[in-house]
Formats: sequence, structure tokens, C-alpha cells
Amino acid sequence: MKSIRLKVHFILAAALTGVVAFAYRAYEFKADFIKHQEAMNTSLEIQTTALALSQTAPSLRRPQSEFNKLREWQNAIAEPQRKTAINSLANALNRRSPAGVRSASLEVARVESQYYSETKSQSEKLISKIELAIALSLCSGIFGLLLITYTVRARVFRPLERLSRRMKDFLVDRYSFQFSHPDASELGELQRTFNSLAQRVINTMDELKSLNQAKSEFLNIASHELRTPLTSIKGSLSLIGSGVMGEINPSCARLVKIAETETDRLIRLINDLLDLAKIEAGKLPLAHAWHSWDGIVSKTVEGLHGLAHEAEVQIKADPVPGLEVFVDHDRIQQVLTNLISNAIKFSPQGSWVHITAEITDYGVLLVKVKDQGPGIAPEDCEKVFQRFRQVNTPQPGHILLKGTGLGLPIAKALVAEHGGEIGVESELGKGSVFWFTLPQWRDEESSSDERAKKGERAA
Amino acid sequence: MRILLAEDDVNIATITQLCLEKIGGHEVVLRHDGEAAFETASREPFDLIILDGMMPKKNGLQVAIELQASGVVGTPIIFLSAKTDDKDIEQFMKVGTGYISKPFDPQTICEQIDAILAENWGKSGR
Repeated sequence: MKSIRLKVHFILAAALTGVVAFAYRAYEFKADFIKHQEAMNTSLEIQTTALALSQTAPSLRRPQSEFNKLREWQNAIAEPQRKTAINSLANALNRRSPAGVRSASLEVARVESQYYSETKSQSEKLISKIELAIALSLCSGIFGLLLITYTVRARVFRPLERLSRRMKDFLVDRYSFQFSHPDASELGELQRTFNSLAQRVINTMDELKSLNQAKSEFLNIASHELRTPLTSIKGSLSLIGSGVMGEINPSCARLVKIAETETDRLIRLINDLLDLAKIEAGKLPLAHAWHSWDGIVSKTVEGLHGLAHEAEVQIKADPVPGLEVFVDHDRIQQVLTNLISNAIKFSPQGSWVHITAEITDYGVLLVKVKDQGPGIAPEDCEKVFQRFRQVNTPQPGHILLKGTGLGLPIAKALVAEHGGEIGVESELGKGSVFWFTLPQWRDEESSSDERAKKGERAA
Repeated sequence: MRILLAEDDVNIATITQLCLEKIGGHEVVLRHDGEAAFETASREPFDLIILDGMMPKKNGLQVAIELQASGVVGTPIIFLSAKTDDKDIEQFMKVGTGYISKPFDPQTICEQIDAILAENWGKSGR
């Protein structure tokens, strides 16, 4: 039988039929039994009356009522032998012959007692028949229940378990999902559906993989093709601008300078795009190691000295002696550089950019870069981390290089690769605080204490 | 220094040659494909060979490997390439003496070359 539903229904119907049929038989037997009991009662009454008559026969004063009863019984009873006995007793009564009444009543008592014992043994047989019918009815009910339980377990629960196991396997990438021989039942349908669903997921994943592959190939080729002409442009401009090829007049020199600056920006843009693509594709291997935090900061600040000087902005970094972080040195320096150069770009002349680092209550290192720039509207705070979404533009004619619009997205991706978070708190007119967290740090001077503290916090 | 420069892109070749000659004051022999570069390098002695990564007929890596196989081992080789794939760069560093990425800064390319050579002077013992 293919369908589980059909099979269950069939078993249910058979069991119910069994239960009802046997119960009905028991009911019929019970009705018989009651008839027998009534007959036995009647017979007892007849016997009692007959015996009483045999004793009181000599002084029959009022025989009329007994006579009427005997006639009633005679009509009600089917057995001819009993009819005859009662009839002769009634006739004897009618004749008012004491001797006839005595012998006839004794005959009636004998016949009735025989009938009584016969009926009794029959009704006893009926009782055992009723018991058997009830037992059979119960048995068919129990048997049906057991059969259904077994069927449901074998055909529903076990395949369901298998299905859920394969689904879990599929979730953790173990591709043993295929049901090579789906069951021939409703669950088989489910298994087949799961098969094709899983196949579709795998196909989509393969497609995604090859798309990703194509994307990185495209990026590599595109960047190569973009770099080649840029090499010639930058080279030519630089050679002309440096005056190696001969003197040029000042206005030409200025134009050449503009072209050169923009070429540099284009090159940075290509590099940033490629970096971001690599980070997002997880193709940027991080060289994690323990580094002194102050070392990273001072190196970053050193690299930005020229930019800060040009913008007339001071960089102030609070030292945190002994603090070490487990990071890729160059990449975290890149994050800091992006945040600080951004801060410098939007700072008014003569203001400060302030860098701090502290351990938060959650046990992570929190780095903040504060500036005194124009600030960012709260609704724009999320946007600044999206690609090419510069919400503010530096003052027109700002001496500094224009950004690529990718600095903050790159910082975000890099911090995420280190297991940290990044964000900005700002209000218009009150400057901005760009912050990021690093989860892996230690205090070299009291490292054991710190670790103990961290352990407490974790507990 | 006498430098062999192999670069298929005529514009980049011209600019690189100008940089090396005008700014660095070197003598430059220019070849436009890998095979020609290989022949020239096997015939004449140079102080430095600069190879573009991607060239027709033979790419830079092939030229370098074949030159080293044919006994030209004393000359430092620097690759000039616009490739940015980490695997490519790794190979350049393994086979050659150094690597300069495109687009390079014409003002400082000679300094970069000097730095690579100085860094490898002790290592190679050449």
C-alpha cells in the first residue's frame, strides 16, 4: 500500500468494525441472558405455587386465584411438556380433587425444576459467550491501535527523523542530503521536494562562487588595464612638471600640477576599490601579531605629519603605556590613517584632532578620533560608512587632497575583519567622534592581572 | 649603469627610458618583447635588467627564469608590473631581485631602484 493515509484509514476501519461487531454480539447475548433470567423467575414462581398447592391441597378454600395464575402461565409458556403438566394441575384444581391436585402439583414441580436447571445451564453458557465477545472486541481495538502506532512510527516518524537529520547536515554544509530512493509515500514526496530544493541551493551557491570568481578576475584585469594608461599619463605629467624636459611657463606648470594631482587621486581610487573588493571577498590575509598600541599610533601620526602641517591642524594622541593589541599592524594603521586624515580634512585651521584609547566595561579596546569640525547630522551618521557617500565636502578651495569616498568603507571592512565595530557620534556644529573597537588586547605591564580581570568579567 | 629595459607598451617604455636617462643618468637599451630582451641579455652584459611582467612572445617571468637557466646569474632583475594579485607579486619577488608596481612615480623610480639594489647587495654578494 503506497499511501500512509490509506493504510491508517484501513486499519482504523478494520479495528472499528471488529470492536463494533463483537460488542453487538455481546449485546445480543445479554438480551438472551435477560430472557432466560425472566423464564427462570417464572419457573421458580410456578414451582413455589405448585409446592404450596401440594401442601394445602386438602383444605382448598379459595382455589380461584391459583387457577387463574395457572391458566396465565399455561398460555405464556411455549414448552408442550410444561403446558401439559400445568394444564392437568389446573384441571385437577377445577375438579376439586385433593389427591389429583397433589399428584399433579408434584408433577408440575418436577417438570419445572427440570426446566429450571436446563435454563440455568444455558444462561451460564451465555455468560461465558458474553465474556468472550467483550474480550474479542477489546482485542480488536488494542490490535488496531498497536498496528496504527507501528505504522505511524515506521512510516512517518522514522522518515521524518531521517529528513530532519539530512536537513541539519545540509545546514552545516555536509552534502549527504540526497535521498537516493525516496519512500513511496507522502513522505517520499517531501523527500523528493527536499532533494530538488537542496539541489537548487547548491546550484545557486555554485553560481555565486563562479560569479565571485569572475568578479575578482574582472577586478584584477580591470585594475591592470586601468593602471597601464595611468602609468603613461602620470609619467608624462611628472616628467613635464619636474622640468627635466625643459622649462615650462608657470601657468602651464599649474595646469600640469592639477592634472598630476587628479591622476594621483585616480590611482588612489583604483587602489582603494581593489582593496575593498579584496577585503569583502575575504581575500586579504591578515598578519595578526602582538603590537604596541602606542607604536602603531605614533607611526600613523608620523605618516600624517605633512598633511596636518599643511592643514594647520594639531594631532594629539594620549599614550597608553604597556597596551598591546593583537592585530595586523599595517591594516590597523590604515584604519587609523583613514580616520585621522578624514578628521584633519574637516577640521578648521588651528584646531585639534585628539586620539584616545581606553578599555570599556565590555572588555574591548575603544579607540576614539575626535575632531572640532562641522560635525555630521545624526541622520547622516550611518551614510558616511557607505561607498562614495560623502555627506560633507571640505571647504571649497581646501588645500588638501580630495578623498576617494572609500576611506571609511575600507576602515569599516578592516575593523570588521579584526572582529571589532566602528561608528561615529556627532552633532552638527559640535565636531565628530569616530570610534572603533578591537577585541584582542593585553596590558604588557600587568598582563596577568588584566587577564585575571578579563576572566572575572567573562565569568 | 647600463640597463636593459623590456617593455611592450611604447608609451610607458618611452617614459621609463626618459626617467632613467634624464633623472638617473643611466644608459638604457630598450626592447619591446620578451624574446628580443632574452636575446639581447644573453649577448651583452648589463648592470641591471628591468622586465615588464606581461609582454608578447615571452612574459617577464619566463625571460628571467630562462636567463638564469642559461647562466646569466650575476645581473639583478627588477620586475615592473601593473599586476596586483598577491600571488603574482610573490612570484616576482621569488624569481627576481625586486618589484616596482605601476603606476610608478617617475621622480622616485631611480631611488626605488637604488634602494632595491642596495638592499640586495649583501644578500646576493654580486
